[in-house]
Amino acid sequence: MAKSHWIERRLPPTDSPLATATVTLAAIVLALLLGGLLMLPFTPHPGQAYWAIVENAFGSLRGLGFTLVKATPLILIALGTIVAWRTSFFYLGFEGALLLGAAATVWVALRAAPQEGLAGLPGWIFFPLVIGAAFAAGGLWAGAVGFLRSRFGGNEVLVSLMTNYVAILLVNYLVSGPLRAPGDLPQTERIPETTLLPFFIPDTRAHAGFLLALLAALLVWLFLRRTPLGYELIATGFSERAARYGGIPTSQRLVLAAFLAGGLGALAGLVEVLGVQFRLMEGIAQGTGFVGVVVALLGKLNPLGSVVAAILYAGMGVGSEVLQRRAGLPSSVIFIVQSLIVLLILAGDLLRSYRFTWPFRAERLTATAGPRE
Amino acid sequence: MAPLLELRNITKQFPGVLADDRVSLTVEAGQIHALLGENGAGKSTLMHILYGLSRADAGEILLEGQPLQLHSPADAIAHGIGMIHQDFMLIPRFSVVENVVIGLQKDGPQLDLRSAALRLSDLARQYGLVVDPEARVEHLSVGVQQRVEILKLLYRHARLLILDEPTGVLTPQETEGLFAVLRRLAAQGHAVLLITHKLHEVIAVADQVTVLRDGRVIGSLPVRQSSARQLARMMVGREVTLRVDKPAQQAGPPLLQITDLQVRGDNGQPKVRGVTLTVHGGEILGLAGVDGNGQSELAEALMGLRPVEAGQVTLAKKDLTRHSPAARRASHLGYIPADRRQVGSIGPLSIAYNAVLGTLRRYTTWGGLFLNPGHIDRHARHLVNEFDVRTPSIHFEAGKLSGGNLQKVVLGRELLARPTALVVEQPTRGLDVGATEYVHRQLLAERSRGAALLLISAELEEILALSDRIAVLYQGKIMGVLTAGAQESNSQIELLGLMMAGSPLASLSNLHTPGRSDGPHG
Repeated sequence: MAKSHWIERRLPPTDSPLATATVTLAAIVLALLLGGLLMLPFTPHPGQAYWAIVENAFGSLRGLGFTLVKATPLILIALGTIVAWRTSFFYLGFEGALLLGAAATVWVALRAAPQEGLAGLPGWIFFPLVIGAAFAAGGLWAGAVGFLRSRFGGNEVLVSLMTNYVAILLVNYLVSGPLRAPGDLPQTERIPETTLLPFFIPDTRAHAGFLLALLAALLVWLFLRRTPLGYELIATGFSERAARYGGIPTSQRLVLAAFLAGGLGALAGLVEVLGVQFRLMEGIAQGTGFVGVVVALLGKLNPLGSVVAAILYAGMGVGSEVLQRRAGLPSSVIFIVQSLIVLLILAGDLLRSYRFTWPFRAERLTATAGPRE
Repeated sequence: MAPLLELRNITKQFPGVLADDRVSLTVEAGQIHALLGENGAGKSTLMHILYGLSRADAGEILLEGQPLQLHSPADAIAHGIGMIHQDFMLIPRFSVVENVVIGLQKDGPQLDLRSAALRLSDLARQYGLVVDPEARVEHLSVGVQQRVEILKLLYRHARLLILDEPTGVLTPQETEGLFAVLRRLAAQGHAVLLITHKLHEVIAVADQVTVLRDGRVIGSLPVRQSSARQLARMMVGREVTLRVDKPAQQAGPPLLQITDLQVRGDNGQPKVRGVTLTVHGGEILGLAGVDGNGQSELAEALMGLRPVEAGQVTLAKKDLTRHSPAARRASHLGYIPADRRQVGSIGPLSIAYNAVLGTLRRYTTWGGLFLNPGHIDRHARHLVNEFDVRTPSIHFEAGKLSGGNLQKVVLGRELLARPTALVVEQPTRGLDVGATEYVHRQLLAERSRGAALLLISAELEEILALSDRIAVLYQGKIMGVLTAGAQESNSQIELLGLMMAGSPLASLSNLHTPGRSDGPHG
């Protein structure tokens, strides 16, 4: 009565590296194929278009510089996501944390202008100071959500999403009110030259913020893997009941995770201000706070994996911009491909819970299921 | 005449596991047939196949000699095969008769509850299953709810009744009542298939027993020709000692003192309502009671995982009532929770990390800033060796261990912390005979070391085997405390059973020789 099932559900998903790699690779290939179909109206050779993207994003020093600049805030948001989500605190307020960090950064940097309080401060004091200020601003912003959740319960996803709007409007208020520079545009003064992050690849836009992001990734990795606090955050994330049983003050750890997540998100705002925009204005976040979460998921909530995912993701964006200018290929096509990759990789995880069985193989299995000792 | 049910060479393969390997089984009408085996022996898989919940890879099912294809539980019921699960499938707010007729094909547009109730009463009389058809299920005790489940099957003309571990939630009296019902069912020509891992139940009620081990039939024989010892050997595959040796021991000073403790449950209901208990060093105080009478809430409150409404908990004269779980651990209070997978361990973390849960800060360097992986690994290796955890590596995910091995990790972790007092909740639930034996020996060793043990268990056998004194918890109150072995064993079990059903010891003492105990025994 051996009926052949082509696909069989298995309870524990296969989690071997091979299975994960196969599914991920298959998802990317499938996304590229589907995206290629969308490109056909614009170019007869989707393969060449893809290759052009890679070349534009990584083929030249200039392109690579752009890619790293775009990847930097994504890495920092992803790191914040990792800390929060691994503690099972599903924070989605990174857009707001980024804006708070940007505002705090600009405020401190403007104090370093000539005739201001912090004028003439050497870089080795200024940069730690501004990093600390931004981190604290974002940390307190997100930490408040963490406190609300651990003290009163409730859903941090909704609350943190709402805080994004508060932050956006807060920045709009700042740039059109207290911090507004003279002129037509609602924006602050340009921050002084001394406060800008130095470029670290000659003749490119790649600024030292990328190195800051790499350092942060290393520290987050070390923190989660090698410190008792990191262990306690992860334990809390896996099972709050078991963590409490193990004597871990889970409410405090949750607030800590929220603080760190917000702080890391704020650093994304810092690098945007000190490395790219040089001032605060409306629309500075542009969804980075959400894309960073996606990058963290693509990196399987692993700090180093997220660095790779962020660079690849940023590279696709940079490459497609060039393609749009040159070949007239709408960047929305590339955005669709990006989204498809994310969607298929995340959906592909479900596949690891299934096993394909070829009918003839199933019968052989039964036939050879002999005595076991 | 062909037997009522025959399974021939049923085989079911899961990825990596051959759950059932050519299992054959014959059940005659009028027979109580026990299917005995440890967890993972393949009992449940076999029953799922027989009940139409999953399909065998090979083999056949014959009902009165006719091959049978079962695609769903509805199919099984249509062929007269009924099953009672461990968790009852009843709607609490419905009456008995409403629960019984639910899901039946109606004869007409009108639901005729009155004639259904009449038929139900007839059936109830016929089989001695006393139950009021109009009573709401939520008002019935667990034992009576089980009767409703049986009636439901009889109402659907079931000829073969499958009962999956039916006694887990029953008091001894309720168990005896169930067995009487099963005997009557058999006498009237029904067949009963009893799935269990409890030897004494097989001996008490079954006619025929089939033993499964590792998915294969080890043997099938009449119960009259077998012994508990022989069945245990068949089930486990080696000799097992069924009785634990408990050396006589003088109890020490009072260590864990619980005074008038009151605790609320998850939905705010009072679950522990004024419990006062004292556990002495070198003593195991057994806390018996049917599940859900406040045992878990009491244990959690002792560990600080649940707020204490009123009352006091002291350990070696130190008041711990308001202390955090971490402070309680630091004061050498240990706890082995009932839920070893969700509470006692963190599944996705390695055995090594689970081994230091609760004592993590001891395994750090650089002034507590960093973990010391070498030190953690050494501790984990020590635990794995000392407590005989079967694992490929200490870096293996704890959640992938079998129940028995995981329990050894939890047990080892708590015991290596050298607790002054240890709260143990359902320590052998779901474990096989071998692992149970091991856990019992370790708990007795802790007793010899002088620790105070509070053993919370729904298994009366376990309580009786290990405890020096036995308290019974019913609806959050202590019904009384007995000295183990103060009465002859049968009358003590009867006494405990009555207490578990809600009679305070004080109201029973005129019926029996008093065996009350307010202090430790010698």
